[in-house]
Amino acid sequence: MNKRRASNWMKFVLVSAAFVLVLTGCASSKGAGDTGTPKAAAEGSGSSSSSGGELSYALATSPDSLDPGKSGYAVSHRVFRNIYDSLVSELPDGTFKPWLAESWTKSADGKSYTFKLRHNVKFHDGTPFNAAAVKATLDHTQTLTGQARTLIGPFKSAEVISEDTIKVNLTEPFEPLLSGLSSAFLGISSPKALQQYGEQYGKHPVGTGPFKFVSWSENDQIVLEKNAEYNWGPPIADNKGASHLDKLTFKIVPEEATRIGSVQSGQVLAAETVPPQNILTLKNDPNIKLDTAITNGTPYTLYFNTSNAPWSDLKLRDAVRSAVDVDTIVKTLYLGTYQRAWSVLTPGILGYDASLENSVKADAAKANQLLDELGWTKGADGIREKDGKKLTLRYLESSPNREKRNDIAAIVQQQLKQVGVDVKLTITKDTVTPLTQGEYDLVGNSQVKADPDILRNLFRSDRVYGKGGYNYVKLNDPGIDKLLNQGYQETDPEKRKAAYAQIQQYVIKNALALPIYVFPYTVAHSSSVEGLKFDLLGYPQFYDVTIRK
Amino acid sequence: MTGAITTRLFSSLLVVLGSSMLVFIIMYLLPGDPVLIMLDGNASTPEAIASLKSHLGLDQPFYVQFYRYFIHLLQGDFGVSRVNGDLVLPKILEHLPATLTLTLVSVSVSLVVGILLGVLSAIHRNGVIDFAARFIGLFGISMPAFWTGILLLLLFSIQLGWFPAMGSDGWKTLVLPGLTLGLIGAGFIVRMVRNTMLEVLGEPYILTLRAKGLSERSVMYGHALRNSLIPALTMIGLTVGELLSGTVVTETVFARQGIGRILADAILSKDIPVVQGVIFFTAMIYVLTNLIVDISYSFIDPRVRRSQLKGGV
Repeated sequence: MNKRRASNWMKFVLVSAAFVLVLTGCASSKGAGDTGTPKAAAEGSGSSSSSGGELSYALATSPDSLDPGKSGYAVSHRVFRNIYDSLVSELPDGTFKPWLAESWTKSADGKSYTFKLRHNVKFHDGTPFNAAAVKATLDHTQTLTGQARTLIGPFKSAEVISEDTIKVNLTEPFEPLLSGLSSAFLGISSPKALQQYGEQYGKHPVGTGPFKFVSWSENDQIVLEKNAEYNWGPPIADNKGASHLDKLTFKIVPEEATRIGSVQSGQVLAAETVPPQNILTLKNDPNIKLDTAITNGTPYTLYFNTSNAPWSDLKLRDAVRSAVDVDTIVKTLYLGTYQRAWSVLTPGILGYDASLENSVKADAAKANQLLDELGWTKGADGIREKDGKKLTLRYLESSPNREKRNDIAAIVQQQLKQVGVDVKLTITKDTVTPLTQGEYDLVGNSQVKADPDILRNLFRSDRVYGKGGYNYVKLNDPGIDKLLNQGYQETDPEKRKAAYAQIQQYVIKNALALPIYVFPYTVAHSSSVEGLKFDLLGYPQFYDVTIRK
Repeated sequence: MTGAITTRLFSSLLVVLGSSMLVFIIMYLLPGDPVLIMLDGNASTPEAIASLKSHLGLDQPFYVQFYRYFIHLLQGDFGVSRVNGDLVLPKILEHLPATLTLTLVSVSVSLVVGILLGVLSAIHRNGVIDFAARFIGLFGISMPAFWTGILLLLLFSIQLGWFPAMGSDGWKTLVLPGLTLGLIGAGFIVRMVRNTMLEVLGEPYILTLRAKGLSERSVMYGHALRNSLIPALTMIGLTVGELLSGTVVTETVFARQGIGRILADAILSKDIPVVQGVIFFTAMIYVLTNLIVDISYSFIDPRVRRSQLKGGV
């Protein structure tokens, strides 16, 4: 009996060992990046030529609404960019070309723009595109609080001059207008559909774009199909006619292992937001191509609240900046796949000041010296004190799950502890209360925008949080206000650049912010997918995409 | 019998209403102003905030809000989502079938795998099968759903390509999530069935049956198993709760539609009406399942049927 039991035990151990081996076997071959042979060119993509087929694209999050006037999310833009066209198109060098508008003129006072519209353009529901449609779209944005409303700035009214001429009136000159109009957030909607669907328009979007909306099943997928009549593509595209793809399906796949695994196994043809550890693996996979685009705007940056003592002191902020080793943070967390940021604007945006690169460096000795000079002495617990008060820094983070931002917070906390600063970390989605009440000393944020005017929202004295702005720093400097105003009103691009360079230098010189990393938008796709491009904001462009047989 | 069921139905209703109220109170007490969250603290004047508050009835004292919520609930009005203005009830009804199907498949997997392994394990006590079954049982109980889910996904979808990794169309998309959740329930049932089987097999009446010359098969399946099923059924009633909470994770991993995922999104964005709606339905499913389990006792065990007939009003 005992003998039998012993042999049973042996068998059990062997069976379970085999089971474990099977599991780990598959895991380790994954790790090596050898995914076997992905079932070539997946479901639905059975195209025989370079035209046709379906592109399935896995998104990490779901759009909230496909009404461009309503949404503020980048992911919504990625989807509805295909449904809507814009009046103008912004080129990578920051200049503008005609799209739905054939030409435009700006009034001498810079307060009104007149657009001559393209003819023979139709919405997906058959409604003709004309000045009334543009007016309906722009008026619609004013009834909502989406990104569109911010992009159109000091909008006063839209006047229909004739069937093909529209005049946009502003309350003050606003240089970023064209940049805003080039965004899909200000893409033109069918006036008939806006009327017909009302509140529900976000689920029934109708534009003039290269793809028509077919269906949206929540948390599952959004299906678009080719607009066969399309021949008014943007100047940045190679394609001049209808889209090469018959169908464009966005799948919503929040779990990164599922999303990336599905591209490797060919269940989808492309997936966005590739985690750094997968970037390295996928680079060695011959069947997968990896695209990276810089998202322009402001990099992920930690902003000081300068209205709170003792952080109103420049020398103290400088000490913290010297103690934080940004290079180490970015290299450790993103394995060399992310670029370190040096300014509060991203490289590639108009006015980015490259002279700030390498202008600050981590130096713990300097940090200690500055803190000593200020009279903060280390207590028994290693935390510095002055006049019986401990040196604490309240660090607020609202998007911990994005790009390892919680890990950044943890490393900063460690690094500052080394020099005797106690970091009190608050990680919460509900930042409204601490931000409104000013209960923070350092807060992380990043923004996507094509125009440097984004800085106005961050640094102009009246742009306080809770009143439409993000002046986390609580900066109140008339000189900077003036430069920020000059930035959006000035028509000469060189003068604009100069104003923004001055602002960026001021921010770094005064240690108002610690820029951390520039966010790259990453897409892993089957090598059969060709022609995927990215616009100035890092949004993918599907109009030129073909699927190789 | 009918009387007993009516009583149970009534008390079930109380449980569902009670849990909805509890959720209302918890959400009310949570820190954070829902209106400010809705507005992202931005682009809003104090007047706009006040008007939105009064529009949502949030400027009223607690008892008024509670009363309104309760009356609306009784009328079947679940309100609208604070994120996008969708009506809550149709939204839940749209996603409920996917979760119900997944739960049903998982319960079936739990039952079939659990009872089969439990019985085999008891019959071959201390044999290889017993050890393997107990190992699987332990695995099911101790592994979190997202971990099992990702393992199954890597092996059967990404390596072998047998089943799709995502989606909610067709039976193929149900296999991996069903297994992921089903294994959890199976884990509990294997252990339960094995133990009660062993207990029952030690009872004197089994000896009597064998002495009467009944075939081993008839002793095992006709008598021992039937007597071991009641605890297993009770277990199913309880694991449904476990499975429903598991759908939150499983639906996310396998990118499926369902109320679990809606709940997760709603909690993150503090979309209180949606959270309350989903909890209401979840409580309902839980209570109904346990009711069905209770009723099914009487089909399996004649003693229960008789006592219910006697005691029934």
